[in-house]
Amino acid sequence: MMDDKRARFEAQVLPHLDAAYRFARWLCPAAGEADDVVQDAILRAFRGFDGLRGSEAKAWFLSIVRNCHLTAAKQQQRRAFVPLPEESDAVDGHAMIATTPNPESDSILSDQKQVLERLMASLPQEHRMVLILREIEEMDYAQIAAVTGVPIGTVMSRLARSRAALKSKWLKEVEGKPRAVR
Amino acid sequence: MQCAESLRVQAHFDGQVDALCAAEIERHLEHCAECRALLQNLEEVRTRLRRDVSYEGAPPELRSQIMCALDLEVGAVRDIAAAPRRIARGSALGRGRVFWSAIGGGIGGAALAAVVGALLFIPRVDSPLSGEIVSAHVRSLMPSHLIDVVSADKHTVKPWFAGHADVSPVVADFDSQGFKLIGGRADYIDHQRSAVVVYQHGPHVINLFSWVGTHRLPSNATRNGYHLAFWSQGDVEYCAVSDTSWDELLELVRLLREQA
Ligand SMILES: [Zn+2]
Repeated sequence: MMDDKRARFEAQVLPHLDAAYRFARWLCPAAGEADDVVQDAILRAFRGFDGLRGSEAKAWFLSIVRNCHLTAAKQQQRRAFVPLPEESDAVDGHAMIATTPNPESDSILSDQKQVLERLMASLPQEHRMVLILREIEEMDYAQIAAVTGVPIGTVMSRLARSRAALKSKWLKEVEGKPRAVR
Repeated sequence: MQCAESLRVQAHFDGQVDALCAAEIERHLEHCAECRALLQNLEEVRTRLRRDVSYEGAPPELRSQIMCALDLEVGAVRDIAAAPRRIARGSALGRGRVFWSAIGGGIGGAALAAVVGALLFIPRVDSPLSGEIVSAHVRSLMPSHLIDVVSADKHTVKPWFAGHADVSPVVADFDSQGFKLIGGRADYIDHQRSAVVVYQHGPHVINLFSWVGTHRLPSNATRNGYHLAFWSQGDVEYCAVSDTSWDELLELVRLLREQA
């Protein structure tokens, strides 16, 4: 009986492991944290698997990843006695790779990748979240609403704001640099 | 300031509107320059993100840890079902949940060891030492319990043990033979501070426990899917534990013994 449940779980949920990991990486700035969150999420998902209906496994699983991240962040907050910034204006340092790119050695493409990752990291987390879910995971509005736990209208306005912000940050970045890349 | 249709234009761009609505928006776009510019921006942001954001998936080590955690989850429930007297209070599943939430909640190492031990190992104890070691190995695979000192350099790992363990084990890197030194940890085994050297072999973690020898060593065994290989060198006793194959585990043992 357990083996049967596990086989169904592996067939329906594990195909979304890569998506869950990517999502967790964008949620958790610190190295290694994403691993913990995903591992935690897998166990929670497995235990709650009987409650999953239909084909919405991906959105369902990613919403568990998000919950696990929230729990972990709260625990960390308690342990450190340092208040986390309000989520709405949380700006964390995800993927702060090279802030001083070296045009001599880096190809233009990897330079662009680094700039983009840095700009993404500078967005508020809830904006970054909808952007990743829409553009990278190609989820529709209803699925994004399910993952992030907000109404579809909020998903739409967050998407609009995050896209506009990314675009204007990009423009500023390009104009601000002498060795501009298009 | 912004055109009132901008959110509908975005929804159209995202393929979230029906044909009727799409036709309306197309008509609007014909005479609204602002929305045409918006559409172009949306397109640009999408192209850039899909081209430049990394699509990197879950690393293989994480994948194998997850399979291992699922094994344990399934195994834990099965073990409880097979030993009904041990769970006088609460259902099998309820007990399983306590087990995992205890781990998730980050309770202390000793308490955790007790929970892990009670659930998985007590029903079939033969050698207490083997049980203790498997339990410590499983615990090490839980998030953030694996390594205290992260280093691939034996000259970093070895001195670290001096202040943290009661024993000074052989520390060597066999990267070229496929056994990569990834760090060290102190673990409480057999009432002493045992030194644990951690290796990675493909997707598998190998924990090499060592302690000051005091008793007859158990024979090599397989418990809960993990192989345990015991040996001693001088007055130090060792146990290598992993879910890798016996051949590979014994190959590491051979390499380590050659070091002495
Ligand atoms: Zn318009």
